[in-house]
Amino acid sequence: MQVSRRIALKGIGGALTLPILESRASASQRPPTRFLVVGNPLGMHPDHFFPAEFGKDFTLPETLRPLDWVQDRITILSHTDHGMNNGHGREISFLNGVLPENSSAYPEKNVSVDQLMARRAAGRVRFPSVHASLKSGIRMSWNANGVDLKPFTEPQRLFDHLFLNLTPEEKAQRRELISRNGSLLDTIGEQIASLKGTTSRRDRERLDQYETSVRELERSFAARSEWIDRDKPKFDISGHFAGSEVTIGNHYDAIFDMIAYAFETDLTRVATVAFPNELSYTSIEGVTRGYHACTHNGKKEEVIAELVAIESFQIDQLARCLRRLDSVREPGSNGTVLDHTIVLFGSGMGYGGTHSNRNLPILVAGGGFRHLGHVDARSGSGNNMPLCNLYLTLLQRFGVERDQFNTSTGAFGLRHG
Amino acid sequence: MANPVRTAALLAASWTVLSAADGSSPLELDLLQARCAQCHGGEAPQAGFLIGSLVDGSDQDSLALWRKSMEYVRAEVMPPAEAGRLPPSDRRKLVAFLEREVRRRSGQPSHASGASPRRLNNRELANSIRDVLMIEDVGTHQPLADLLGDTLQDGFDTNGDALGMSQYHLEQYIAAFRKVVDAAILAGEQPTRRRYVVTAGDMRMTSLSQRRRQERANRTVESIDFLDPRLRVYFSNFESAPASGRYRIKIRATGKDRGVYDAAETGIHDGDPIRLRIHLGDRTRDFDLPDEKPTEIQIDEWIAAGTRLELSYPTDGLRLRGNGNFKFQFSIAHDHIQKTNPELYAAVLQERLPMAPARTARSPRHWSHWTEQWQGPRPRLFGAEIEGPIYDRWPTRRQAALLGEAPQAENAADILLPIAERAWRREVQSSDLDPIVRLVQSKAKDGVEPQATIEALREGIVAILASPAFLLINSQEGSAADRFASKLSYFLRGTIPDQRLRKAVRSGTLQGFEEVRDEVHRRFERSEAEEFLKEFPYAWLELDRINFMAPDPDRFPLYSRKRLGDDMVAEVLRFFRHAVESNVPIPELLSADYTFLNADLARVYGVEGVPQDSQLRKHEFIDGRRGGLLGMGAFLTLTADSLSTSPIHRAVYVLEKFLGIRPAPPPADVEISEPDVRQAKTIKEVLSAHQTNATCASCHRSIDGYGYAFENFDPVGAWRDEYTMHIAPRPSQAAPVEIERQDRQRFEEGLPPIEKPWNNEPIPVDAAGRLPDGSKYRNIIDFRRHLLEDGNRERFVRCFIEKLLTYANGSEPEESMDLEGILSKSAEHGYRIVDTIAAVIDSPLFRNE
Repeated sequence: MQVSRRIALKGIGGALTLPILESRASASQRPPTRFLVVGNPLGMHPDHFFPAEFGKDFTLPETLRPLDWVQDRITILSHTDHGMNNGHGREISFLNGVLPENSSAYPEKNVSVDQLMARRAAGRVRFPSVHASLKSGIRMSWNANGVDLKPFTEPQRLFDHLFLNLTPEEKAQRRELISRNGSLLDTIGEQIASLKGTTSRRDRERLDQYETSVRELERSFAARSEWIDRDKPKFDISGHFAGSEVTIGNHYDAIFDMIAYAFETDLTRVATVAFPNELSYTSIEGVTRGYHACTHNGKKEEVIAELVAIESFQIDQLARCLRRLDSVREPGSNGTVLDHTIVLFGSGMGYGGTHSNRNLPILVAGGGFRHLGHVDARSGSGNNMPLCNLYLTLLQRFGVERDQFNTSTGAFGLRHG
Repeated sequence: MANPVRTAALLAASWTVLSAADGSSPLELDLLQARCAQCHGGEAPQAGFLIGSLVDGSDQDSLALWRKSMEYVRAEVMPPAEAGRLPPSDRRKLVAFLEREVRRRSGQPSHASGASPRRLNNRELANSIRDVLMIEDVGTHQPLADLLGDTLQDGFDTNGDALGMSQYHLEQYIAAFRKVVDAAILAGEQPTRRRYVVTAGDMRMTSLSQRRRQERANRTVESIDFLDPRLRVYFSNFESAPASGRYRIKIRATGKDRGVYDAAETGIHDGDPIRLRIHLGDRTRDFDLPDEKPTEIQIDEWIAAGTRLELSYPTDGLRLRGNGNFKFQFSIAHDHIQKTNPELYAAVLQERLPMAPARTARSPRHWSHWTEQWQGPRPRLFGAEIEGPIYDRWPTRRQAALLGEAPQAENAADILLPIAERAWRREVQSSDLDPIVRLVQSKAKDGVEPQATIEALREGIVAILASPAFLLINSQEGSAADRFASKLSYFLRGTIPDQRLRKAVRSGTLQGFEEVRDEVHRRFERSEAEEFLKEFPYAWLELDRINFMAPDPDRFPLYSRKRLGDDMVAEVLRFFRHAVESNVPIPELLSADYTFLNADLARVYGVEGVPQDSQLRKHEFIDGRRGGLLGMGAFLTLTADSLSTSPIHRAVYVLEKFLGIRPAPPPADVEISEPDVRQAKTIKEVLSAHQTNATCASCHRSIDGYGYAFENFDPVGAWRDEYTMHIAPRPSQAAPVEIERQDRQRFEEGLPPIEKPWNNEPIPVDAAGRLPDGSKYRNIIDFRRHLLEDGNRERFVRCFIEKLLTYANGSEPEESMDLEGILSKSAEHGYRIVDTIAAVIDSPLFRNE
C-alpha cells in the first residue's frame, strides 16, 4: 500500500508525553469514561480463547497470551449470546443483539451499545464516536434509526479526520452554519418567551423543558465554535509507514495509536476497530489462507494453526493498544487511561468453523472494573446469558442511565471502583 | 394470621375519617370490614395490603390503593371465592363506594381528565410536516433518519411523560427540517432534464451484506434475474437522482417460473404473484408481475436529490433450507433436475465437479454446483428508462402553492402566515410571526439574490417547524375549537387537521354525539383514519413486542424463515379493521369465532383447505378454540418466551389488555427461580410453588387462573396436546458411545447414570384452571365462555374505552363520572365499536373542556 506523503511529512511526534486535552475538561473535573470495541466477524476458535478453568485463577489460553501482563484486569465471559440462528450474517448484531429485520420491535431500532454511549459523550468532545477498519469494516455500529455507521477504512482518512486542521473554507462553512443555527435558536427563544406569557402552568412545564433544550444547544454550539478555531492535537503516525514493506500490522498499529491518542487528548470517548473478513492476513507469519477459509479447517491442525495465528494477531494488536493506554496517567485520578477506558473485545459470531452463534467470545478489560477472570454466565437452569445484560452494565458504567438495553433481562454483575 | 380485633379497631378509626369525608353510610364500611379486613388486616396482611392504609397518609398516596381495590372488586377477583361469595347487590354497593372514593381522591377535574402537552412523536412529525408543506411525504432522501427514537409506554407512542425534549432532539430536528425544506423548495437555476437508457448490462446486483463478493447474478445479454431476496438491483448509469424533481421511471420486467418447484420447498405459495419492489430511498412501490410476459411498469414520482433508486424482490420465501441463508435454496435445483432431467443432471455434474474445491466436489447436492440452473419464482428484468427531473414549470407548482408566484422578503409575514396556521394548528396573528419575519428579512438582506429570498423563506419555514407551537401538541394554546380539531385529527389521522375539519369545528358542528359519530363514520368510510386503524391496535395490544424474545429459530424454524411475526401482526390489524368497518359490538373482538388468515397462518393454526397464498381471508372456526384476539398468534407468541410458554405472562396480558387490571409486579425481595426445562416438569408443576409459598399465593391466586387456559397453545400459537419441549434431540454419531462409556464408569463409582433427555416421554397438557371468583374451567373453550359472561363483557368494554383515552390523551384516564358516561353511551348503542369511539371523542375527557 502506498503511503501518502502527508503522513510522512507530518511532524511533531512525542507520543507518550502527557497530551494537552482537546476538550475543556480540566484536571479539576472528573476523568471521563471511554469505550473501545475491537471486533471480528468470525468469532474465535473456542479451545484457544476460553480458558479451561473458571474463576480468577486461570491459565491464559494460547490466543490470549499477549494479555498476560493485564490478566487480573480482564473478564472473559463464557456462554453469552444473542439467541441468534447459526450461520453468517448474524454477526452484525454483535453490539445490539437485534437483527435489522427485527429492529422495528425496539424504539431505537437496533441501536448499538457504542452509539448510546456516543450520544452521551456528544457535545462534550469533538467527535461523538470514531470507527476504524481496513477494507470494508463489519457493520458493528448502528444508530437509533437502524442505519449502520461506515468506518474509516484508510488510516490516512482517519488521520485527516482526527488530526488535520480544517481549511479556512471549511472553517468558514462551519462558522456560517453555527451562526445560522444561532439566529434560528434566537428566534425560537423569542417565540418561547411570548408563548410562556400566555399559557397555563401545565404548558409552562413543557415549555421550560423546551427552553432548557434551546439553552443547552446554544452552549453546545458555542463549544463547537471554539473547536473550529482551536487546533487539533498534533500527532505523528509516519513511523508506521516508514519501512520498505508496509503490512496490515503497520496499518493497525497506526489505527490503534491514533485512537489511543484521541482518547488521551479527549478528542473522542467512543471508538470501534474491526478486523474484517476480506482482509488478507498473509503478511502474518504462517498464514497462507484466507480468514474465512481458515475457520473451515476441517479440524486439520495446520489450518487451525493459521486461524489461531490470525486471532492471535488481533489480540496482539489489542494488547499493544491496552499497554499504551495503561502507560499514560489519567489526569485528576490515581489510575491510568486504561482504568478509565472500558475495552470490549469480541464477535457476534461464536465460532465460524461450526457456524455457531451461541457462546460468543467476549472479553472485557480496563474500565476500572473489579474484574472476574473467566466467568460462566449461564443461569441456574443452564441457559446462556443475553449478551445485552453485559452491555447494560457497560452502559451504566459509562454513565448512561438505563435499566434495559435491547434484549437484556437484567444487568451483569461486574462492579467497578 | 389476621387479628380481627385489631383490624376492627383500625377500621373504626378510619370510619370517622371516611364518613366525615363524604358521609358514606356505615353499610359499606361494614362490608369492607366483614369481607376484606379478615385477610387484609393484622400483622401479615395478604398481598402486603393493609386495609387501614386506605386512609393513612395523603389522598395522593392512597389513591393508587383505592384504585387497585376498585379494579379488583369490580373484576370479581376480590374477595376470592374461598372467602365466600359476595352477593351481587353487595358487590354493586361496594364497587359504587370504591368508585366514589377514587373519584373524590383523584382531585381536581383538570388533573383527572384531558391530555398533557407533549412533543409530537416521530410518526406524527413526519405526517405533519408532509401536510404543512403539502407534499407527498417528507422526501425520499430519508431526512428524518437521524431523529432519536420514541420511547413507548405500555406500547403507546403517545405518552406525554415518555415524549420529552432535549438538546439532542432539537439539534436533530433543525437538521432534519432543513433537509426536508431544501428538497421541497428549490432555489437557483432549473436543472436540465435528461433521459437515461438502462440496459440489462447496466443493472447491477449488490449485496447488502458486509462481505462484498463478486456479483452473483444469473443474467443474459438482455436480462438479469433476481435470486436472493436480500439483494437489490441498481442501475450503474443512474445510481441516484442528480437533482430534486419529478422523474418518470419505466421498467421492463416479467415474472419467471412460478410453480416450477414445489411450493413446500421454496416457501413461496403458488397463488402469490411474483412481485417487484421499487425503492426510492425509503419510499417503496410494489408491482405484481405477470407470468412469462414482459411488461412495462411506469411510475412518475417526485424524488429528492441524492435518492438511490433500487429494485428488489419482496418475498417471505426462499429461506427454508440450511440455516435460512438464500444460497442453500440452490440445492432445490439439484433435486428438481435429478428427478426431471437426468441428462442435464449428468451434464452439470460432469462440468462442475472437476472444477469444484475438494470440500464440495464430494457432494453433488451442494448448492454451489446449481446456481446457474436456478428456476425458482423470481422477477426477470430487461431494461429501464428514466427521464427527469421534469418540472411542470419553474418555480414548480408545489412551490408556488407554498410561497406564491414571486415571493418577496417584505411580504414574508403574508407568505408564512398560512403555513404557520397549518403548522401551529390555530389562528395566527401576523404579530405572532414577528421574530420569524425578522429572521427572514435579515437573511434575505445578507444574501445574494435571486436565491437569497428563497433561502431566507426556507429558514423561516424551518423556524415555524422548530417552534414549540408546532412540536408540542395538546397545549392550551388557541381556541377550544382549534384544540378539538387538532386533537381529533391526531387521534384519527396522526397529523394536523385538514381544512374541512377545521371549518366544521369552527362553525359549531361536531358539538353533539350524533354529529361526531357521523364524522367518524365518514372518516373511516373514506379511508381517512388509516393511521388509527393501524396505530391504535398496534399500541393497545403491544404488537411491537412480537419479536422481542422471538420463538427459538431452531425449535420453531418456520417462524423466522417465513416471517410469521409479520403475518400475525397483519392478522390483528385486518381483524380490527373488519371490526370497525362492520361496526361490530366491542365484545365481539373476544367472542368472535372467526379471524383472518392466509396459508402460512393456516399452517400454524392447523387449518386445512385454504387457498395457497398470502392473502388474509375470513375464516370461521367450528371447534370453539380459536377466533378473535384470544386465539391469535400475535397474542400467544408475544406472551411466550422463545422456548416455552408462560401462563403468567398470558394471564397478565389478558388482565391488562382486556380486563383493565394491572397486577402488581412481584415484590423486589422475591427470588424467582427459572423453570428448569431439562427436568420433565410441566409449567404447572413449576408454578405450584406459587400456591404453596404464602407470599406468592396471595397475589398469584388472582392471576394465574387467567393463563392456564392457553397452555394448549405453544410459543408460536400452534395447538398442542402434549409438551415435547423437554425432549432433547438425540445426540449424533459418537456421542452415544461416549455416554455409554461414562455411564459404565459412573456405575462403578456408584453414581446414577447421566440424564438422557432425548428419552423423555411427552407430557399431556393440562389447561384446566380456576378463576378467582371460584369458577372452574376445563379448557380454553370453557374459559372463553366464562370470559364472555355479562360482567366481563362490560369490563372489557370499559378497558377498551380506557385504552382509547390513553391513546388519545397520552395518559391513563382517572376514574370519573365522565368515564361512566362513555360506558353508558356505548351500552345504549349495543357497545358498537364506532359508536363507542364517537362517545369517547364526544366526552369531556377527550374534549378537554
